[in-house]
Amino acid sequence: MMANGFAPEKPIDSNDEHAEPNVLYSTDPADFRYMAVNVPCQSACPALTNIPAYIRALYESKFGLSYEINRIVNLFPGTLGRICSRPCELKCRHGEPELGKPVNICHIKRAAADFRPLGHAYLSPRFAPSGKRVCIVGSGPAGLAAAHDLAILGFDVTIYEACYEPGGMLRYGIPDFRLPRNVLSEEIQNVLRLGISLKVGVNIGVDISLENLMGDFDAVLVASGCYESMKLGVPGENLPGVLPGLNYVMDIAAGYKQSIGKKVLVTGAGFTAFDCSRLALRLGAEDVSICIRGFEEDLRVTREEILEAKREGIKIRSLSLSKQIVGSSKVEGIEFLRTRPLEKTSGGRRKVEPIEGSEFVIAADTVIVAVGQAPRPIKGPGEKNDRGVLLADRKNFQSSTPGLYVTGDYLTGPTTVIEAIASGRKAAERIAYDLTGRKFTEWAVQIQNFRITDRDRSWDVIPRIEMPTVMPVKNRFRNNEVVEVESGYSSELAHEESKRCYLCYLHYEIDVAKCIYCRYCIDNAPRDCIKLVKQVLLDETGAVKDLVETTRWLDVNAVVIDNSRCIRCGECVRVCPVDCISVSRVELLERPLVQESKA
Amino acid sequence: MSVKRFVIIGNGPAANHAAEALREKSSESKITMFSKDPFRSYRAHLLPDFIAGLIEEEDLYNRPYAHYNEMDITLRLGQRVVNVDFSKRNVILDHKEVVPFDGLIIATGGKPRIPELFQLFGDIMMTLKTPSDARLWIQKLSYVDSVLIIGGDLTSLSLTKALLKLGKRVKFILNEDAFWPVPLNEEIYRAVTGRLEQRGIEIVHCRRIRRITQLEENLLEVETDSELIEVGALGAFFGLVPDVGFLARTGLDIDRGVLVNEFLKTRFSNVYAAGDCAQVYHPVLRDYWISIGHENAIALGRIAASNLAGSHLEVQVEPENILEVGGVKVNTSWWTEF
Repeated sequence: MMANGFAPEKPIDSNDEHAEPNVLYSTDPADFRYMAVNVPCQSACPALTNIPAYIRALYESKFGLSYEINRIVNLFPGTLGRICSRPCELKCRHGEPELGKPVNICHIKRAAADFRPLGHAYLSPRFAPSGKRVCIVGSGPAGLAAAHDLAILGFDVTIYEACYEPGGMLRYGIPDFRLPRNVLSEEIQNVLRLGISLKVGVNIGVDISLENLMGDFDAVLVASGCYESMKLGVPGENLPGVLPGLNYVMDIAAGYKQSIGKKVLVTGAGFTAFDCSRLALRLGAEDVSICIRGFEEDLRVTREEILEAKREGIKIRSLSLSKQIVGSSKVEGIEFLRTRPLEKTSGGRRKVEPIEGSEFVIAADTVIVAVGQAPRPIKGPGEKNDRGVLLADRKNFQSSTPGLYVTGDYLTGPTTVIEAIASGRKAAERIAYDLTGRKFTEWAVQIQNFRITDRDRSWDVIPRIEMPTVMPVKNRFRNNEVVEVESGYSSELAHEESKRCYLCYLHYEIDVAKCIYCRYCIDNAPRDCIKLVKQVLLDETGAVKDLVETTRWLDVNAVVIDNSRCIRCGECVRVCPVDCISVSRVELLERPLVQESKA
Repeated sequence: MSVKRFVIIGNGPAANHAAEALREKSSESKITMFSKDPFRSYRAHLLPDFIAGLIEEEDLYNRPYAHYNEMDITLRLGQRVVNVDFSKRNVILDHKEVVPFDGLIIATGGKPRIPELFQLFGDIMMTLKTPSDARLWIQKLSYVDSVLIIGGDLTSLSLTKALLKLGKRVKFILNEDAFWPVPLNEEIYRAVTGRLEQRGIEIVHCRRIRRITQLEENLLEVETDSELIEVGALGAFFGLVPDVGFLARTGLDIDRGVLVNEFLKTRFSNVYAAGDCAQVYHPVLRDYWISIGHENAIALGRIAASNLAGSHLEVQVEPENILEVGGVKVNTSWWTEF
């Protein structure tokens, strides 16, 4: 039992006849808890991508395997490698205060996609046809993820898409200088070729009623995202020259020509605001500012995004709250109030207080409002909110109408692509269960003995390798040509960055029965990761909750490796005179469940 | 009653005057100053004279070590504060030492600003903020005959004078993105470039710098949209920005600088900010401003210290001295001091 390091609480599920030798699977809650604490990148990923495994695969130059370890859970590695919000990097152990900067996990993912060989092997299992039909409304990340999983599980899947090409926000909400369309199209095709039927240009609730779909399919999943631009709610918002941000980005993505003024103000603190600003520059605007109520620190984009936007000449005007949009026959600027910052909400949003009498005006000939988006109302059955948006349970995705489900941003409001993918996959799992009464897969902790890695201590001080971008900046603005701003790692750079990963999926453990308490391991540890403890406190699952350390030799009951502090350098294993430290590789992964015959 | 422990982060004019004012008002307290730099308080505006050989390095420093002994102020040089825990009221140093405080003044000053567009070339662009920077210039100038100055703040003009005195060839790109006490309009551009040209400085008229390449240790190639330039050294002068990055995740309100009210008080009790690192809200302006310049720093340092010691002094602003640079109001007095 690896979770608490002492005695087994529950037997590990011994493997079935298909298992590889030396591989065990555990579904003990203590082991799930261990993974959540000790492999922080994977647990921070909404889709639970096995990050150490794919980084290690790339280090070994197995680009196809690295891609596939991603694809099997997040489906669009080439796409996410460019636009993911990277919650994993915020939790990466390498980013802890004294350890430097997080591993550039996202860009390693992109490298796996960029350098994978043609025809790499798929890891996805396939299940026999179930005879059930499922309809999905919307082909954005949540809809495609649900379609993928349902198709794999043996369902006959049809997607209805209101636009003329699939991809939803991936295609229409993200500019091509950030996400090239060929990369996206290839990964969408990779999903559709599982036998999914796609019908584009069909608006459900208008062209076909939801009731009709309910009659034709065994289940209907609404995954139609958030396409309603929110308004600022200030006077002057209807003046000519004031553009809703999401519509602006979508119209450009759809190929419609958009005019833009020379001096542009964008309100909003998220990626849409940055996309609008950078698109405005590409369409000929000369002076573009993003106006926010709080600080630059509060922006809901990556630091790299802020840097690149500033490099392109975009200004960020902080502590500015829109009071009204001014102009007589067309927009002439925004009148702001200066704000005083207050504390953040539990959701991480900064509260501000407008300062009375602090009005000031910034002139502009175009104003783009990018302050959020919401789901659109849909006609048909099911309980709705006061705006006519279909409601459902966030845990089981079921609406009040049996057989009608909701997922993705339509269910939760705007989130990130990776969250939408995770939501779509979970909804698919639920639908499959409801239609068949069985589970097809389960999450388990795979445990294998492992030799000490070949990581070199010098790799711990390799500086984070930032994504190369097209420079000088003017080369990003070529006429009639889309230039992807991030040019990608070379395979050599990706390999170098992959060395920085500590491989937190390795579990180090001291066998207290063999330990002679010599403390060589403690003397050689690079940080306080090996502890003299008098007591190990367990939580309700049986996982380690805390280690009660002692400096009194007589009170020491064990020498324990704190895997939440360990950087997997292997020094302790190398110096141990009695070879009492073992290393195992523990991975949280999804595996197919083998069905028992009823006979 | 126990002795109060006051900590001051910084060692510039605001920090030193704050320490001295605190000592005047609180003779029993323990005052500790932390400076990430290894040198004493210095006169920044004399750095070009030091480079030109007009003064000795010792002339830069304006407070002997004995001064701190006399004032019973503990000066800890070369010790970088990396974090502040406001809930436990501790500052944390780079070498993991934890120092508790009852009152704190943040007076870290400014650091050279390099616009995002030029950050790629940060390693080969020389700045001039500290005596260490000046020593690097002296070393470099012993190998090179020509220097390209990009920017346009007042330090760059003082340095240019020093370079001419040393017989160096100087080229100058007056960049509109540079900090400038007044917005750089065409009239000022013509006046300044005309004056520089009279002194024998070659003005490079260009809109953009496309590329900077280090050909050899003391030879750089700079490609602009108007010409290709080869020079021995490159100076970047875009003014200063508050040096407060290490406080970004402490819970303090950080915008361009540490946000404080007209009494220089931050969100946390007994925590003040003063000098170039403070972004002051003032009800007269109904806006925030950043104070730049030696005289302002001294004034703010003394006010922060007095208020920490129990006074209720308000920062005086004179709106005619407030200028807007890049969307931020800046209060400057230094261009009148030169």
